[in-house]
Amino acid sequence: MFRLALKMLLGDRAKYAMLIGGLAFATLLMMQQSAVFLGLMSWTTSHLRNIRAPIWVGDAKVEQANEVKAMRDTEVNRVRSVPGVDWAVPLFFTILQSRLQDGNFKPVMIVGLDTATLVGRPALMLKGRLEDVRLPNAVIIDDLAVQRLSAGRKKPLEVGDVFEINDKEARIVGICKAERHFFGYPYIFTTFDQARLFSPKTRKMLSIVLASPIKGRSAVDVAKAIRAETGLAAYDENGFGWATIWWYVRNTGIPMSFGTTILLGFIVGIVICGQTFYLFVLDNLRHLGALKAMGASNFTIATMLLLQAMTVGVVGFGIGAGLTVLFGFGVLDKGMPPFMMPWQLPVGTFIVIMVICVFAAVLGILRIWKVEPAIVFRG
Amino acid sequence: MNNGATNTNGNGYTLAVHVRGVTKTFGKGEAAVQALKGVDFDVRQGEMLMIVGPSGCGKTTLLSVIAGTLEFENGEIDVFNHSLHSLKPREVTAFRKRTVGFIFQQFNLIPTLTLVENVSVPLLINGVGWREAEERSAAILAKLGLAGRERNTPAQLSGGQQQRVAIARALVHEPRMVICDEPTSALDKDTGQQIMEQLRDIARHPERCVIVVTHDNRVFKFADRMTEMEDGRVQRVHENPERISEPLNH
Repeated sequence: MFRLALKMLLGDRAKYAMLIGGLAFATLLMMQQSAVFLGLMSWTTSHLRNIRAPIWVGDAKVEQANEVKAMRDTEVNRVRSVPGVDWAVPLFFTILQSRLQDGNFKPVMIVGLDTATLVGRPALMLKGRLEDVRLPNAVIIDDLAVQRLSAGRKKPLEVGDVFEINDKEARIVGICKAERHFFGYPYIFTTFDQARLFSPKTRKMLSIVLASPIKGRSAVDVAKAIRAETGLAAYDENGFGWATIWWYVRNTGIPMSFGTTILLGFIVGIVICGQTFYLFVLDNLRHLGALKAMGASNFTIATMLLLQAMTVGVVGFGIGAGLTVLFGFGVLDKGMPPFMMPWQLPVGTFIVIMVICVFAAVLGILRIWKVEPAIVFRG
Repeated sequence: MNNGATNTNGNGYTLAVHVRGVTKTFGKGEAAVQALKGVDFDVRQGEMLMIVGPSGCGKTTLLSVIAGTLEFENGEIDVFNHSLHSLKPREVTAFRKRTVGFIFQQFNLIPTLTLVENVSVPLLINGVGWREAEERSAAILAKLGLAGRERNTPAQLSGGQQQRVAIARALVHEPRMVICDEPTSALDKDTGQQIMEQLRDIARHPERCVIVVTHDNRVFKFADRMTEMEDGRVQRVHENPERISEPLNH
């Protein structure tokens, strides 16, 4: 009977195409928008992956990774004195203007690393030597900076080139790979002291303290101890990431905006699929009634309808997911818009599509359940 | 439920269908319409019985309750020793699956399936495997003159050929009772005659009966007996002596 059900479904090509199209579109809308949303959320935590440290300590009022509330330099020592802390180093970051050769200005994200240890250094150097960042006026720029700051030049910025940051000369000693940040500004890595020289002088110039627990202690425990001892905000890397994401969810319209589109995808799916599948059942009501008359039970017919709905669900999802992946490949090279597709996303979307299909099938099942087999004798 | 007894009437015929005092009402209150008002009649094994009468007299309703496709309120219906009045809905479904073959006025062939697939439906419902079902269906299609057209769809056939496919579908699982609702109303005279001849041959089987509801007086001559209905009751039963004398096919 299942083969029969599939042949009935595939035979009605117009409705089959409509169902597949609707579900593929719904899948594409839900999955692509979710992937862009997740990509955007991952951008908000790119600091944590570009400047890697087990524990992040900031001002007591710091709630997320992109927030800078300057602290006194002495806070580094207070953190170092907390039992369970293996090491702690200062980090400075701020946003400054860099001047391009064509006279334009572009904002850049300056990251000042501890000069001795270079903790927080870029994970992947594309050109140059990391250690050279200790030289006077030296900076390491990321690949986005090469792209953004080369405007007005005959050839892209290279190791050895100079440009201006806040009216001060900066010499490129390396080019690194960095994940793009939510603000969209390029990363410029330099030493803590040099970064302070680039920046306007203020009373407090310590942005973050990066720390690590001693062996045998978890970062979560030590962060808790730092909070208790110093009154500063201390997070383990994972906790800081989630705190950042939740901050953006709570305080921006981003989730609402994406959520609305994703909801629209769900509604489009449920309306198109529900309506078309119901029409399919209505069109086949006499035939399904004939099957009932010939002895097919309601259960058998319900199973047939479920199989038909699930089949269009799987095919529609496959097409929609394929298109989303193609979109992903298309944008990942360019880096815009953000795109992130963890395995949970296709699995979750598949479940949602199946829920839509089951809903559509149930509408049909309820209709056919009430049909008396004697309908086939009526003209 | 099969009570195991064999019904016979006073004339010694073995009964296939035994209907007594059956009533059926549609709607409720003032809108209620009583379609069957205590119907009594029998169908013998090996005969083709026609139910005739004006529109709205209850023919199709009677056919529906005998076939087990419509519930009735009062009375008794025994079909090949299955007491429909005492069966649960699930048992009625099983009864229809095994005992009844249907031929509908509009054929009710599924347009997206091939002929062999359409004919296979009752076998598949009865749990027969796909391959065996197709083999048996192809064989019966060949018997009915449709060899070589198994992979056609209903739309590629004439009305008469479609009705022959419907006959094949009604017979493929060897049911004991074949129910026909206006089988010739959508056909021209000659095709209708051919179809009725085939149905008559099907009925001439000692453990089978064919019940035909029809308006078409051109085919009355094919009936062994005719039950005339009016206003929800059986008014008269006519015997066709010429037909009764014909031997049964074994």
